[in-house]
Amino acid sequence: MITRAETTQTAPTAPQDAGTSPSGTALHATGVHRHFGSVRAVDGVDLSVDRGEIVALLGPNGAGKTTFLDMVLGFTEPTSGTLSVLGTSPQRAVRAGRVGAVLQTEGLLADLTVKETVSMVAACHPRYIPVDEALERAGAARIATRKVKKCSGGERQRLRFALALLTEPDLLLLDEPTAGMDVRARQEFWAAMHAEAERGRTVIFATHYLQEASDFADRIVLLRQGRVVVDGSVQEVTGTGQRTLSCRWIGPGTPQALAVAHGIPDDVTHQGDRVRFTTGDTDALARSILTDGLGEDLEIAAASLDQVFLDLTADTATETTTDTADSTEQKGR
Amino acid sequence: MSTAATDALQTPQTPNTPDQTAAQTRLTGRPRSRAGIIARFAGWDFLRNVRMFEATFFIVVLPAALYLMFGALAEYGDQPAGHGNVTAYQMVSMGVYGAVMATSSMAGSAAVERQQGWGRQLGLTGLTGPGYVLGKVLVALAMSVLPIVVVYTVGFFTGAEMDSAATWFSSAGLTLIGALPFAFYGLAAALLFRSEAAVSAASGLLVVLAFFGNLFMPLTGTLLEIAKFTPLYGVATLARWPQLEGTIVAVQGEPQSDPLGLIVLNVVAWTLVFALICWVAARRTTRRG
Repeated sequence: MITRAETTQTAPTAPQDAGTSPSGTALHATGVHRHFGSVRAVDGVDLSVDRGEIVALLGPNGAGKTTFLDMVLGFTEPTSGTLSVLGTSPQRAVRAGRVGAVLQTEGLLADLTVKETVSMVAACHPRYIPVDEALERAGAARIATRKVKKCSGGERQRLRFALALLTEPDLLLLDEPTAGMDVRARQEFWAAMHAEAERGRTVIFATHYLQEASDFADRIVLLRQGRVVVDGSVQEVTGTGQRTLSCRWIGPGTPQALAVAHGIPDDVTHQGDRVRFTTGDTDALARSILTDGLGEDLEIAAASLDQVFLDLTADTATETTTDTADSTEQKGR
Repeated sequence: MSTAATDALQTPQTPNTPDQTAAQTRLTGRPRSRAGIIARFAGWDFLRNVRMFEATFFIVVLPAALYLMFGALAEYGDQPAGHGNVTAYQMVSMGVYGAVMATSSMAGSAAVERQQGWGRQLGLTGLTGPGYVLGKVLVALAMSVLPIVVVYTVGFFTGAEMDSAATWFSSAGLTLIGALPFAFYGLAAALLFRSEAAVSAASGLLVVLAFFGNLFMPLTGTLLEIAKFTPLYGVATLARWPQLEGTIVAVQGEPQSDPLGLIVLNVVAWTLVFALICWVAARRTTRRG
């Protein structure tokens, strides 16, 4: 089952033994808040990521993903709470070259070539792998002599990826790494990323797409309004058993009344002449419809990943509206 | 039971791996020192800027060309002026122009690059924030030495004359010092408008200031009186001090001169003004800057 954040207080690795957390944990956040004035961009995140895990940080725009990653990279400090990266402070881990990141911001010099960019950034690291190797592994070797200003969005992302690999980091952070890539570039990017993950790196990536998360991650953490609302394995999150049932409505009464009777009052939509219900128990719903002759041409299908994503976020929206009455629209970037 | 419990307590301590992990041991070579990192960053950035045609054209090529037009090839170039000749006077003027262009555009583009995310990229390396600033100061200094060296070298071979080597070197040194406050000028433009175009515009505006700074042609009358309050006037007069000691070169009329105190006041006052604008603009800058 999906574990709701409120109930997962990191039971298994609780002991405050100094020996365990530095070696075993890539990231440990306890009650991390980051407020910008009255905006609570990150509003109490508890998250522990073990070494070698591949975690997708999922959430709608303004959920606090980028702000959270900024804190992990030491660019901003938490307003409150504690955050440790690879057993030390974010700044220290980053300075030591133990954290690599593909950033969302522009952050490249247009007048340099791809290889020059990697060489220049390498020159600023205390230690690094050969520049050609970083280019090769990021799939950027064949654009090495291209000027950055002539690179497409996907090629720039590959360059950023090469920069992130320079120090053989233990932890890789990717903020929407495939934004602006076409399907083919996306596939190649994830293939390269797979190879890096197999070297034993911990990977945390932020994305909008549940599909991307489920294809690549071991674990999905869903943020909404600055909080972790869902934290579980890909199977747990995507295989929620949610299905959709659609039919042509012919019966007496309204679909809404039926939905209310089945305890799913908000999960009815109309598509043309068809009515669509989303529920975990389509069997019971189908039985009612067929027995009482309410509808015909029934179709039952597993909910799409996007539907699951919308359900998860919508579900938690109703849950959280009570305690975050002041939830303003947050800026994610 | 009790042994199992102690085992469980002790196991966490066994894999107490050192801070350096398996992946990182693959990195070869000795770690670089902080000074080494700053030096390499500055070296890369200097080469990058020298290579950029739009930067070097305005900083090096244009001042040298202007010197040749107004100084070396002018028929009045042989006329004596203070401890040198008129050609040398024009040479120093163009050295000032190039050096000031260098510091203002370098400081401005440094700030813009940082705002546009390059600073974040570098923030993930061993280069610290102060290291970045120090590196950029070194680059700006190197870039402003460039026009001075080029213009003075061209001057040396094309008839610029000053009484002694000390005069040459002291005016070059004063040019460099006087150009430094213009880093604040370029920085202010970058902080206020946050774009490369704004920095270019500010550099363009330097042409107007250079005119009032008495760099292109000797001003007289009302224009001269106005000019004395403009920022480049102080720097230019200071750079020419070893040669002219404040004497204002005029095409005609009674020779005038500026007291050193007022010239220093001009430089200091404008430095403070530019710095103050930077300070205000930086405070206004949003958190993500």
